Amino acid sequence: MELGRGKYDRLVFQKVGVIGAGTMGQGIAQTISQKGISVKILERSTKNLKIGLNELSLALDKEIERWGITESEKKAILSRIDGTVDLKEIKNVDMVVEAITENLSAKRELFKEIDKICPPETIFITNTSTLNISEIAEVTKRADKIIGMHFLTPVPKIPVVELIRGLKTSDETYLKVKKFAETLEKTAVEVYEYPGYVTTRVIIPLLNEAMHVLMEGVATAEGIDTAIKLGFNFNMGPLALADMMGLDVVMECMEALFKELGDLKYKPCPILRKLVREGHLGRKSGKGFFEYPKLQ
Amino acid sequence: MKILVVNCGSSTIKYQLIELETENALAKGKVERIGMEGAVLTHKPFDRDEIKIGAEIIDHSAGIEYVISILLSKNHGVIKRKEEIDAVGHRVVHGGETFSGSVLINDEVLKQIRACIEYAPLHNPHNLRGINACIKLLPDIQQVAVFDTAFHQKMPKVAYIYGIPYSLYKKYSVRRYGFHGTSHYYVANKAAELLKRDINELKIITCHLGNGCSITAVKKGESVDTSMGFTPLEGLIMGTRSGDIDPAVLLYIMSREELTMQQGNTLLNKHSGLLGISGISSDMRDLEEERENGNKMAVLAIDIFCYRIKKYIGAYFASLGGADSIVFTGGIGENSSLIRKLSLSNLECLGINIDDEKNESNSKEATIISKNNSKVTIFVIPTNEELVIAKETMKFINN
Repeated sequence: MELGRGKYDRLVFQKVGVIGAGTMGQGIAQTISQKGISVKILERSTKNLKIGLNELSLALDKEIERWGITESEKKAILSRIDGTVDLKEIKNVDMVVEAITENLSAKRELFKEIDKICPPETIFITNTSTLNISEIAEVTKRADKIIGMHFLTPVPKIPVVELIRGLKTSDETYLKVKKFAETLEKTAVEVYEYPGYVTTRVIIPLLNEAMHVLMEGVATAEGIDTAIKLGFNFNMGPLALADMMGLDVVMECMEALFKELGDLKYKPCPILRKLVREGHLGRKSGKGFFEYPKLQ
Repeated sequence: MKILVVNCGSSTIKYQLIELETENALAKGKVERIGMEGAVLTHKPFDRDEIKIGAEIIDHSAGIEYVISILLSKNHGVIKRKEEIDAVGHRVVHGGETFSGSVLINDEVLKQIRACIEYAPLHNPHNLRGINACIKLLPDIQQVAVFDTAFHQKMPKVAYIYGIPYSLYKKYSVRRYGFHGTSHYYVANKAAELLKRDINELKIITCHLGNGCSITAVKKGESVDTSMGFTPLEGLIMGTRSGDIDPAVLLYIMSREELTMQQGNTLLNKHSGLLGISGISSDMRDLEEERENGNKMAVLAIDIFCYRIKKYIGAYFASLGGADSIVFTGGIGENSSLIRKLSLSNLECLGINIDDEKNESNSKEATIISKNNSKVTIFVIPTNEELVIAKETMKFINN
């Protein structure tokens, strides 16, 4: 849909609220700040906030080591990111991006809260890979100003987002948020509200299938990843990708797809359940299908 | 006649209001942090103190609006009515192959400048924003675009075609463009004026050494070769840019370190040059200080910087068939006697004899720093791109 082309060309976003300082929240905050926009980032506890900001700082150091940014750019990025644990502080932002855990009731609870805090014109973006936007929107009085934007990890590097309209999302909201995505240099693909949209729906069963192949002893984890990586020109193999996404996240996605679509092909592989149960969540916990040196 | 000169960056607007009769700036200043929190306007009328004003400036249009109102303001202004501005001259970084000179802005020209965004994605869009804002706010005043690339557009083909398949030049216009054109043009002409000779009789090598560095061979007043290329990355060593490098080095490092295109790009543009070699700073003043303290990496970075300049001077001596004059300009060129001395050392064979005493004088004016018997006259000339833009702009107004 292309409405009023040009009307939103000069939109300026000066301050954006990001709720959640986990992996996604950190990446989203960094991406926004890199474009010169101020960010207010929110966590539940001071401890979590500190961990989140520290991880972000380490990620930026890593990017300096990889020649991607400079020391002064790191300073500038961090200087525009202001952390808080007080939800009320997001009332003055131009737009809110929610990036808390992928759980419908938690998201609904949060949206109900911020609906009371923010002025009625503020747009709320929910970063979700599987959930139903309309179900989140219905707890607020601004269903027309709620939209889904699915960022992929690592957020600063992946140049695409899925834009998901809920039943009541207005054209104006859609166009403004599309412009916001362009400001972040992300190509926006419009998708309709349907479990898993495009990216999750296609990639998650692929990862799950690789786990079955591993479980059935067809090849080693290294073997599977090498075959797929070189065979299909992927940047990384499916098991390494699952580790990077977080095995708990992969399992949540599988379960959501299974629940919504009811097809057995979406049943999480037992090996995935086992690793998650043991606390091996992939890169972030230091171990998944592969081992990773711990972040300080 | 009063010309407003405007130079827009991604979040900045630099401006000068120049009175052409006296060639003086009635006021100059800049707007910073456009579209961000804490935007600020710094303004200096020629006869009063500098002032700083914090304001919410959401875009370039709002920034230009502030600039115009401060120029008109009772306390800090220098004009009484908007109409006193005779014309606006805009600095535009890239004119591609379309513009070999300045041009009066109309819809067609705007379209062509937009088409050049592809070559200068970091600069042209902001230049355009400034132009559009001025058209909106000063609709009855003529606007002129002056291009950084224009002076180099008369380079001969042998100097601008790269040794890659010609089809890529035809397809994407990949070629040497060169930058800092306005500065090279200004100092070359100033040198001719100081030599009291017709520029058409002269061969001049101009060295613009600042944050970015480039060197140009000027013959009969025209650029015949220049060190920057398709982008401002080629040529001399710069603060954080590598300058000339074997292209295979980038491919090798990208493959060994598994870098993305963006990381490879930042490596050469922001982590290299003086900063990358020394590991200390991209600022020549810091390096000179460290060199004094005996820091070996500072010595190395400075030596490589100067050696590269010397190599280019030699090359341009050959392409010009000799040179009457060498000019230094830009922040480093105007202020660092050490860099000038090291770059020109042992070039007596080419008739280049620098006078150490004159070189050290560090005058703020245009100065000759060569010995009286030097075949090549060496100048230090403070550049003045704004004045060139103002004069270029005036040409269209008189017509």
